[in-house]
Amino acid sequence: MKSAAAELPAALQPMELIEGKVTPASLDDQVLQFPDRMPPRAWYVGLAITLTALGIGGFCMAWTLYYGIGTWGNNRPVAWGFGIINFVFWVGIGHAGTLISAILFLFRAKWRNAIARFAEAMTIFAVMCAGIFPVMHTGRPWFAYWLFPYPNERGIWVNFRSPLVWDVFAVSTYFSVSLVFWYLGLVPDFASMRDRTPEGIRKRIYTVLSLGWRGAASHWVHYDKAYLLLAGLATGLVISVHSVVSFDFATSLVPGWHMTIFPPYFVAGAIFAGFAMVVIVLTVVRKTMNLSNLITDNHLDTMNKLILAMSCIMGYAYFMEGGTAWYSANPYIQHTFKNYVSGFYGWAGITTVTCNIIIPQLFWFRRLRRSIPAMIFVAIAVTVGMWMERFVIIIISLHQDYLPSSWHKYVPTKIDFGILLGSFGLFFTLVLLFARLMPVIATSEMKAFLPGAQAKHGGDHE
Amino acid sequence: MTPNDAPRSPLARNALLAMTVVGAAGTAAAYLSAGPARFWANWILWTLFLLTIGLGNLFLVALERLVGAHWSVPMRRVPERIASLVPLAIPMLIIAFFGVPVLFPWTFPEAAHNPILMQKTPWLNLPFFAIRLAACALVWLLFYSFFVRGSLRQDASKDAAFTIKARKLAPLFMVAFFFTVTIVAFDWISGLEPEWYSDMFGVYLFAGTFLSGIAAMALGVLGLIRRNRLPDVKPKHFYNLGTLGLAFTVFYAYIGFAQYMLIWYANLPEEVVWFKHRIEGPWYPVAMLLPIFHFALPFFLLVGAVGKKSPKVLRIAMLSLLFAHFVDLYWLIFPTLGAQPLFGWPELAMGCLFLGLGFLQIRRAMGRGADMPVGDPLLAKGLEWQL
Amino acid sequence: MSNGTFAVLGLYTDAQKIVDAANQIRPRKLGRLEAYTPYPVHGLDRAVGLPPSPLGKLVMGMGLLGTALALLFEWWTSAVDYPLITGGKALFSWQAFVPVMFEVTVLFATFTAGLAMLFAFNKLPFFGHPVLHSKAIKGITRDKLALSIESADATFDVEAARQALLDNGAESVEVVPVPAWDKPLSLVGLLRTIAAITAACIVAGAGLYGAEKMIPVVPPMLHMHNQPKLNAFRSSTFFADGRGMRPAVAGTVARGHLPPAFATPDEAGLMLANPLPLTQKSAERGRKVFNDHCAVCHGSVGDGVSMLSRAYGGKPANLLSNEMRGRSDGQIYGVIMLGKNAMPSYAPDLDESDRWAAVHYVRVLQRAQNAKDEDLR
Repeated sequence: MKSAAAELPAALQPMELIEGKVTPASLDDQVLQFPDRMPPRAWYVGLAITLTALGIGGFCMAWTLYYGIGTWGNNRPVAWGFGIINFVFWVGIGHAGTLISAILFLFRAKWRNAIARFAEAMTIFAVMCAGIFPVMHTGRPWFAYWLFPYPNERGIWVNFRSPLVWDVFAVSTYFSVSLVFWYLGLVPDFASMRDRTPEGIRKRIYTVLSLGWRGAASHWVHYDKAYLLLAGLATGLVISVHSVVSFDFATSLVPGWHMTIFPPYFVAGAIFAGFAMVVIVLTVVRKTMNLSNLITDNHLDTMNKLILAMSCIMGYAYFMEGGTAWYSANPYIQHTFKNYVSGFYGWAGITTVTCNIIIPQLFWFRRLRRSIPAMIFVAIAVTVGMWMERFVIIIISLHQDYLPSSWHKYVPTKIDFGILLGSFGLFFTLVLLFARLMPVIATSEMKAFLPGAQAKHGGDHE
Repeated sequence: MTPNDAPRSPLARNALLAMTVVGAAGTAAAYLSAGPARFWANWILWTLFLLTIGLGNLFLVALERLVGAHWSVPMRRVPERIASLVPLAIPMLIIAFFGVPVLFPWTFPEAAHNPILMQKTPWLNLPFFAIRLAACALVWLLFYSFFVRGSLRQDASKDAAFTIKARKLAPLFMVAFFFTVTIVAFDWISGLEPEWYSDMFGVYLFAGTFLSGIAAMALGVLGLIRRNRLPDVKPKHFYNLGTLGLAFTVFYAYIGFAQYMLIWYANLPEEVVWFKHRIEGPWYPVAMLLPIFHFALPFFLLVGAVGKKSPKVLRIAMLSLLFAHFVDLYWLIFPTLGAQPLFGWPELAMGCLFLGLGFLQIRRAMGRGADMPVGDPLLAKGLEWQL
Repeated sequence: MSNGTFAVLGLYTDAQKIVDAANQIRPRKLGRLEAYTPYPVHGLDRAVGLPPSPLGKLVMGMGLLGTALALLFEWWTSAVDYPLITGGKALFSWQAFVPVMFEVTVLFATFTAGLAMLFAFNKLPFFGHPVLHSKAIKGITRDKLALSIESADATFDVEAARQALLDNGAESVEVVPVPAWDKPLSLVGLLRTIAAITAACIVAGAGLYGAEKMIPVVPPMLHMHNQPKLNAFRSSTFFADGRGMRPAVAGTVARGHLPPAFATPDEAGLMLANPLPLTQKSAERGRKVFNDHCAVCHGSVGDGVSMLSRAYGGKPANLLSNEMRGRSDGQIYGVIMLGKNAMPSYAPDLDESDRWAAVHYVRVLQRAQNAKDEDLR
């Protein structure tokens, strides 16, 4: 049967995922050259900036450790402030990575191959940034191991009925699973790097990291199965982790928090924020590392379409929240929702809706989906908007709930901002180090989808 | 639409007609003797059952356009035909409007003394209800006409422009679909206990709708394959139906459990009452059918690669899902009639009527157009698609 | 291994050719067939004759084991070992247990998938495989597809394998020898490994021990020990007298310590009777009170001969004397409350029931030392 692609009009042609001619050898040379070379000056400048931010954050964290949570803005009634906002923010950012690498793998979406490795790395870095906050906000983080159920001399077990304990399990499982998934994907690429590097200490490191991988078909059989299973498991995990995070709020009685739509609403928001971060990072990476022929405009276009879709889902969720708040005829919930958009913190709610719902609508226009300045603008707006959304949910609901005598405002301190800055510093430092030291595109996965890479038919089977 | 020349069995048609006629008689009897509340509860139940299956299939058609999938193109005529349940269900829903004052407490005179319901009157009033119903019906009919009739017309014209236009319109349908399904959920189901609220409820009905859509589509595809009417559709094509079925079985269980667990956890009286009526006493066994047939059975059948490629296993899983979807709607609606689950001749009779009409409608749709969308430029890619 | 050959590799760049070659060569049974590729080639596993991976069932089984273990653990800790009712929820709140059950399922399943795939099925890490030391490996992880006919037994025919690969489209052929192994476990190597592990354990153990000892007593961990609040007997610059504790306001009366209504023991004798019933228990309590507070002066039998009287020449009263036996309970109580001569008031030391119990015991002692014959029966 003549290939049907030739007869299709341009609008229905499959997306070009690679520009120009790419062979497995040229792919290796293009992607795996970076660990071998000294990075350009821009990298050092970037690292200096991120390390400064990290340093400021580290100083603020040390200050918090020494002087206690009193240095933060947390108080009654807003007992959860920047700590939990940043935690939810960073865990959410991690979710796009798992979606790209796991969920899109299950859908056999070929466009994921060029970006999956970087996205998975970003997941791990984001979860690391997220983990800082619950650990620090305990006040005595050196006792953080108390969160795990081990037989202890205190004569008590963790409270399994509490969503905070579910969080411990969910986030630590998410981190472990993401790490396993990411590392397994890296093993064949480490093997490629091992065999490209001349003898020396670097070759030894790659040898160890590659576990002696030799690409045996008998190994690929199990590897492929494991990868498929992990993708399925990671998909379930990604939805469950942010749902468990949403349970932190939804299981409570705080007005505005106890809304049943929270689990899918949070998951959609996480994917939304995560994709925005992926777009920000990848637009920079593909330019500075000359990978635009692999991370093409079509990739960015598709990601922006997903951002638009998620924005619509968020719009539905906001509408349902507001609508159900009215429908509930519950004066406390109605008061809280009024506070979301008016009152002392009303600017936060307006910012959230503008950045999350209105601005991404620009992506209905194809030209804007493919314009780098436009997508960076929208992605930054979404990042700001999603952080602001957590601010709105947490701060506004808490500062005026049931008892007016308990109402009080929340004012974040310089330390709060410093730690937030430090978390961005940590994230981007890790991203820069990753780009410098490791293969940023999964070459073994990409090679399997290059034209001519696969047999048309299996021979005497099929 | 040019009718196709597929073999039409008069036996099947007569059986369905007989079933419909018997059902109609039973329905009239039910109207006269089973009491208005039970009659209208049945009417709403069966209408929603047909409507959600039809909408689920329309959604599948639009979803394929939205993501530009190729693997489903050879099978797409099946959901397009099952979506014909939508224009059948719309007049049934309009008739159901006359049952609203019988079943929905916010229409009762006592509601005027209920301060909570009084606050909800801007939304819960019959004129606005009717406007919403009309708007949803209009939206559904417009999109049905566009997607299904357009696809049938494309069989003859073989014009790629329609596929391109459909791809562009699909996102709009998605937005409309989410909002209309939510309206159905709030208006026709949660309105039965108007003091209750759960903003997840629209998503919950969406999950059931989508899942029943996939189940019906898969059963339709397998049925046509068994009768050799889809010789080019191979296991590799309907494997993905199994995958989608598995994914959304898990999604439904997640949504259902999350809604239940959150309401259990906070234990607020105004929220708990909904579940209290549905899992206490005689309703408990009905509720237990859901985790088994809506989750456990389809999950374990579909989780292995074997289940998704085997027509027999796929069929059992999909039948389980359709059955469970019916039980779900029954479990949502009928507790409004009382603490005892009522299931007797009125339900069976009205079932005969609605299912008879439904199958006749689909049968009529099967007479239109080819069994595969032969005019679609993506059909060839879909047929040669590899897993 | 015949002739010290491990395998013969045929290198290809075209996926279709290697799949066809594998299908052609497999029935000829020239040796064990394997392939080495930089990415998985669809259909090659079947062409080489590999069965599908059983990993799925193993992962599902382990996942379900995780579910069961999590449920069991949550149930046991919440409903059996330390049952605490939190939030009004039942001890076995299965609804609340589901999230952790799900996470543990995924955890078990993931680690099974990853570790079983690597360690059990693929036997990695393994750095000694002959193909890793071949010339072809550089191409294998880059862009070349290698079909390998591996020697299974002594009948392996290298030439036939070479020819078969060349006949079926291989671009080049390499014969991979069995590497000359060093003895894997030389004594020196073994000792070095054991020494390294021991050294690591010692360092880690010392580090952990030091950390466990040091960390709690270093700021900021120390901060909760040294809290600025005023504990008992802490000094304070806030108050004029420098004390953190404030004395009781003048005229404060502690509960149970109202000043007595009598001024002399004789008045007490007239006013009071022993309200405490004389039981075994109250007598034993009285014995304890007496031995703790009174025996030091009055002697353990109450005769006034005690360690203190011997040492300091004081003359505590002999409680067994006839005069003492004639005193009423109230008078003895009065002396306890007000003191007499050198004896201070014991009112602050003993609460009311203790005092009356002591009175009972005094009576017991008096009777014991002046027992009549009938008492002994």
